[in-house]
Amino acid sequence: MGIQPTEMPESDITEQEPTLVRQEIAGRSPIQIAVARLKQDKIAMICLAVVILFALIAIFAPLLTKMFGVEVDAGSPSKDLDQFNFPLIGPPDHGFTWEAPLGLAPNSGDDNLAEWFYGARTSLIVATVSTLAATFIGVAIGLVAGFSRGWVDKVVNFLIDVFLSLPFLIVALAISPIIVTRFGNKPQQLENWQFVSLLLVLSLFGWMLLARLVRGEVLSLREREFIQAARVIGVPTRRILFKELLPNLIAPIIVSISLGLPAFVTAEAGLAFLGIGAVGKPSWGQTIDKAVPFFNTYPLYLYAPVLGVFLLVVALNLLGDAVRDAFDPKTRR
Amino acid sequence: MFGYIIRRLISGVLVLLVVSVSVFALFFYGPSDPALAYCPETRCTPQRLEAVRTSLGLDEPVVQQYTDYMAGIFTGNDFQLGSIAIECPAPCLGVSFKLRLPVTEYLISRFPATLSLALGGAVIFLTTGVGMGIMAARKRGTGTDKGIVGVSLFINAIPYYLLALLAYLFLISQWAIFPESGYYGPFTEGPLAWVKGMLLAWLVIGLSYSTQYARFSRGSMIESLNEDYVRTARAKGLSERQVTLKHGLRAAIVPVVTIFGLDFAYLLTGTIFTERIFGIQGIGVTALDAIGNKDLPVISATVLIAAAFIVVANIIVDIIYSVIDPRVRLT
Repeated sequence: MGIQPTEMPESDITEQEPTLVRQEIAGRSPIQIAVARLKQDKIAMICLAVVILFALIAIFAPLLTKMFGVEVDAGSPSKDLDQFNFPLIGPPDHGFTWEAPLGLAPNSGDDNLAEWFYGARTSLIVATVSTLAATFIGVAIGLVAGFSRGWVDKVVNFLIDVFLSLPFLIVALAISPIIVTRFGNKPQQLENWQFVSLLLVLSLFGWMLLARLVRGEVLSLREREFIQAARVIGVPTRRILFKELLPNLIAPIIVSISLGLPAFVTAEAGLAFLGIGAVGKPSWGQTIDKAVPFFNTYPLYLYAPVLGVFLLVVALNLLGDAVRDAFDPKTRR
Repeated sequence: MFGYIIRRLISGVLVLLVVSVSVFALFFYGPSDPALAYCPETRCTPQRLEAVRTSLGLDEPVVQQYTDYMAGIFTGNDFQLGSIAIECPAPCLGVSFKLRLPVTEYLISRFPATLSLALGGAVIFLTTGVGMGIMAARKRGTGTDKGIVGVSLFINAIPYYLLALLAYLFLISQWAIFPESGYYGPFTEGPLAWVKGMLLAWLVIGLSYSTQYARFSRGSMIESLNEDYVRTARAKGLSERQVTLKHGLRAAIVPVVTIFGLDFAYLLTGTIFTERIFGIQGIGVTALDAIGNKDLPVISATVLIAAAFIVVANIIVDIIYSVIDPRVRLT
């Protein structure tokens, strides 16, 4: 096979010149490469925009409710509802009104829009805090297990097996009331303890897979030359763990966080739908549970929280998938 | 191989022991006094409460209670509650507070619904999922492939309970396209009623789980179709069908089997959302009701049984893994 000489079109020298400038070879960190790939991904960018929108709603929930002139927990069944416990203004019977853009909730008369804004807040706070807690636990346990090997590793592995064989939903549903009644013996603290117990349960059941992943990575990394070199020159273990090993684990940790967030949003709303969770705080899952019986007469009551969970989780999930692909050198999009 | 199985069994038993101890400790040290459930609220005198405690063995030391409970699983236990005697034969997991029934008997009566749900769903998601995966892998890079990957990514991103809830509300409740759901015994009420009651629940489980299987089997199928022996098979002049199904799939199915074993075990532990939304009286709804009723023996039994299912499934998966993939040798 010979090289086929092709006729080159005569080109203008002045036009050619800029392309001839040698491209500078720049060192890029894996994160920079991943971010660059992520920016190319249109779906990921749309999802990111949706997630940012929800985050803004969550952060500015008080401001937004004030702007729309609505309030959380402000409904009064005697004033706002008719004899069938249906709202006197707005949907489903009276058409749109700015006083309650998404209508009022049957039975309680609470404003749906305000509940929705604060629901976004509950959802994102719970998801963020439990993701961070679970990540912290997972990384810490994985690092320790992988680095120390031996019996510590065996114990950790066993612990992971135990946690993975527990049915999450049943245990979460059963433990939560126990934590609440054990510690929340003062009525004014009850609400806070319900919140804390939810966070505890979620992060307690969210760390295992990351721990396993980190452990595996550390097991192979600790045999590499740079770790051995660090040991030989007498770098203290703490420094090896945090300065040598941890930076190498950034990619799996970021991927795990980005896939953990949607899972926790799903879990929070799911638990609330089943009847536990942050009772007393507005939550989409709770609203869904309350709205199901009204589906035939007042569908908007159900659609609002369903759309909230749906959009947020789908956006977070697709974004998480894109982040995973961006960090994976094997995928070519 | 034999040594490996023994070691896995021992560690499995250890996991179950730890689970049982922690569940026991949590629930029996928990806040609600188990004896209160047997003591009618309006007529509960301290003497009566004390009598219930004695008859339940709650006044004994915790370790004694735990060993009694564990021994009951193998030998059975009898409970005497004042005038009521409840016999609890061999695999005794306690007596339900609310129903005054041996927990084992109660759970066994609820199990067929969960089993039906899991079986039907598994058949659907396994066939459609793996089928779509194979199709996508064979038509890699084409519109079909992209369509399958895109749709499965999207469906996978939707929370499962929303899918189930919306399917129930629209397809059964509002438009009545599907018959009203519920569990009917296939032998007592006829197979047709059984299928009718389960149909939509099966489809929802099938749809939601199959996405994962499509992506998974597509990935491993692409890998195995690139292997040398597949090229050899093609070179020998085997038909494309034989190449994909006999040579490609044999290696590609291994990772699918591992996730299937675990998924099926989780399905058997009770799909709380499906059962609740579709009104199917299985293990999941039983556990949910027990939590509502603070029926501790039922809750701890469901947790224990679920853990046992998962541990056993893990061991079986590992063994099957070594059987169907000749490259894996257990040591």
